[in-house]
Amino acid sequence: MAVSATYFDGKSAGDNPVTVTFNGPSIEISGASIGKIHWPVSGLHAIDPPALGHVFRLTHDGWPGARLVLRDEAFIVSLIERAPQLKGGVAAGDFLKIGGWIVGGLAFVALATWALIYLMPDRLAHVMPNSWRIRTGNAIEAAMTRNSKRCSTPEGEAALGALVGALAEGTPDLPAVSVHIYDIPVMNAFAVSGGNIIITRKLLDQADAPEELAGVLAHEIGHVNYLHPEAQMIRLTGFQVLASVATGSNGGTTVSNAAFLAALLEHSRFMEAQADAYARQAMVNSSIDPMGLKTFFEKVLKIEKEKGVGSGPFAVLGNIFANHPGTEDRIKLIEPLPAGKIAKPPMTAEQWQALKKICG
Amino acid sequence: MTESPANPPIQLEFAYVPRPGLLKIAVVNFLLGLITLTIFRFWAKARVRRHIWSCIHINGEPLEYTGTGGELFRGFLMVFGLFILPYIVLAAALGFWLGPNDPSLAGLQGLFFLLVYLLWGFALYKQRKYQLSRTLWRGIRGTLAGSAFTYSLTYFGSLLAKGMSLGWATPVMDTVLQEQMIGNMQFGDISFKFKGRAGPLYPTYAACWFLTLLALTIGAVWVGMEFYSVIGTEISAAFNRVFQEKNDLPKPTTDDYWTVWRIIGLIGASVLTIVLVVPLLWTIYTTKTMRYFASCTRFDGAQFKLTATAGSYAWLIVGNVLLAIFTLGIGAPFIAQRTLRYIFQRLRLEGAVDISRIQQSMTALPTRGEGLADAFDIGAW
Repeated sequence: MAVSATYFDGKSAGDNPVTVTFNGPSIEISGASIGKIHWPVSGLHAIDPPALGHVFRLTHDGWPGARLVLRDEAFIVSLIERAPQLKGGVAAGDFLKIGGWIVGGLAFVALATWALIYLMPDRLAHVMPNSWRIRTGNAIEAAMTRNSKRCSTPEGEAALGALVGALAEGTPDLPAVSVHIYDIPVMNAFAVSGGNIIITRKLLDQADAPEELAGVLAHEIGHVNYLHPEAQMIRLTGFQVLASVATGSNGGTTVSNAAFLAALLEHSRFMEAQADAYARQAMVNSSIDPMGLKTFFEKVLKIEKEKGVGSGPFAVLGNIFANHPGTEDRIKLIEPLPAGKIAKPPMTAEQWQALKKICG
Repeated sequence: MTESPANPPIQLEFAYVPRPGLLKIAVVNFLLGLITLTIFRFWAKARVRRHIWSCIHINGEPLEYTGTGGELFRGFLMVFGLFILPYIVLAAALGFWLGPNDPSLAGLQGLFFLLVYLLWGFALYKQRKYQLSRTLWRGIRGTLAGSAFTYSLTYFGSLLAKGMSLGWATPVMDTVLQEQMIGNMQFGDISFKFKGRAGPLYPTYAACWFLTLLALTIGAVWVGMEFYSVIGTEISAAFNRVFQEKNDLPKPTTDDYWTVWRIIGLIGASVLTIVLVVPLLWTIYTTKTMRYFASCTRFDGAQFKLTATAGSYAWLIVGNVLLAIFTLGIGAPFIAQRTLRYIFQRLRLEGAVDISRIQQSMTALPTRGEGLADAFDIGAW
């Protein structure tokens, strides 16, 4: 079977009229201007999949720039029989390829997420210079409390100092913290980077005994101890990197916007459990009755069930009490002081009264 | 070298010959894009281009796109590693080090934007260079010689000049940029020639400029008059009553509804003027430029002619925007198809070309593609 075809040699745009025949495992292309060329069928590639009524364009591994244009349908059909790779369309290989893409894509997403969200933040948080942690923490605290009054009286500050001191008594490597009370009408407490801990007036108002506040404070010191706020900031940067891979752009600077702040304080259940365990241990070490934390948890849970969490920016921020399912399980883990340990009040009654009045 | 047969110079005809299969490509691309966190977009682009290029016929022979997704992906990795990642890491480090509100962060951001503007032309030029090098016709590649840096500086200068002249430098700068781009373009070893002046573009430019001014003035006067007429009717009180933001408010009156509708209408009309009327007005200038630039372009002695009209072009753009909005990105390949089809259904080359004289260019090929253009989201296809 010899058919006429057109050959482009990849060197000139001029066309070469040729004759094409089968010659053993090859096709033979011959023409006045090009002589004789042999293309083994195994190395043939279709430029586009064959289609009825369309010419069929081929190239060959060994002649990557050259193109052969076939028009004879009978010849094309018998050529495809000899070289099934030319058929195109969906083949088993395509499903494999697409499957590979899906698996590869999922693996990539999983790996990138794992590295940026789980692996890196904790490690980087531990190598972050202290001055960075403090500066960032101050800036975040300022951004979060922009419209609120900071409550401070000399007696109240002394009482807070005594509370931290009582916790440090049993846990000498307690991280350095500075505790600030703000006149915010939403019940919450949170730690930001650099050891700053923010407690709202509403929370202070709800606490009926120093042990209750000690429990909340110990929980927040737990976050500080494990550098959770720092890790969370780095994690958000990781999200930003992922987003910029997806969009190809720089993803914007989110460091100071509200969504960033909210996400910053949204700790995972694992982090909360870590902070809880730290708080329980610290209270036992300092002989402060852990049942204070328990009562407070229960009280808060009850209030929130009755009235809801309220609204406003501070209600959507990470709430240490009711944010995650399983709060009741967390409460169950709190046990009384072991036998033989005598509970000590974390501060005097006068100090407690001064602290309660810190916001006037 | 082999002796070419003596083919006489011939007239070249462009045509868009559709082939089925683009919808399938579009759907598969979209699904794989979802799964791979959009990383598949590089391979998706290559698949779409391969399809659309093969529908563009010149004298019965289709164009062939030989670029691969891998090349585009490598281009992306390069730009991501050299440009975007360092910026994010630097911004994050600065934020952590000096605090998130430190002015140095704003400075860094400013620097980043300046760099983007400086490199915009570079990205455009590199994108064109890559695409031409991957476009074959009769086995022969296109090339773009010249310096992307020079073009980039000209481009940045043109942005400044356009801004400082309230737009009036636009025809001059457009012509200069076109000359740099087209004058460096080749098919095989034959160069495209561009010879044009900005003068013929000015009447159209002036018309569009003043019409825009007129449209905005009429809009502003009308909006102003409407606002003036509703002054004193307690707009916010009417809104509150209509939308019942507080439950203890009295029932809204007919006048309240009238006020609310007028305000909504005003805002709607202003937005419509800015996003619809003004851009559509400028299609007059854009198509004038396209026609004029085509007629200034020669290849091997033959002259290009493009019969684009403002009306048909506006329709193309409106259709593309609607496709982009209502297909949630699945329709992106059809936007590319419509655009290229629009051009090649209207493009002619007047005068004969001696095809057999055209030899493959020996210029080295770029090995990566379009990283910056992807980052800047320049003409998605």
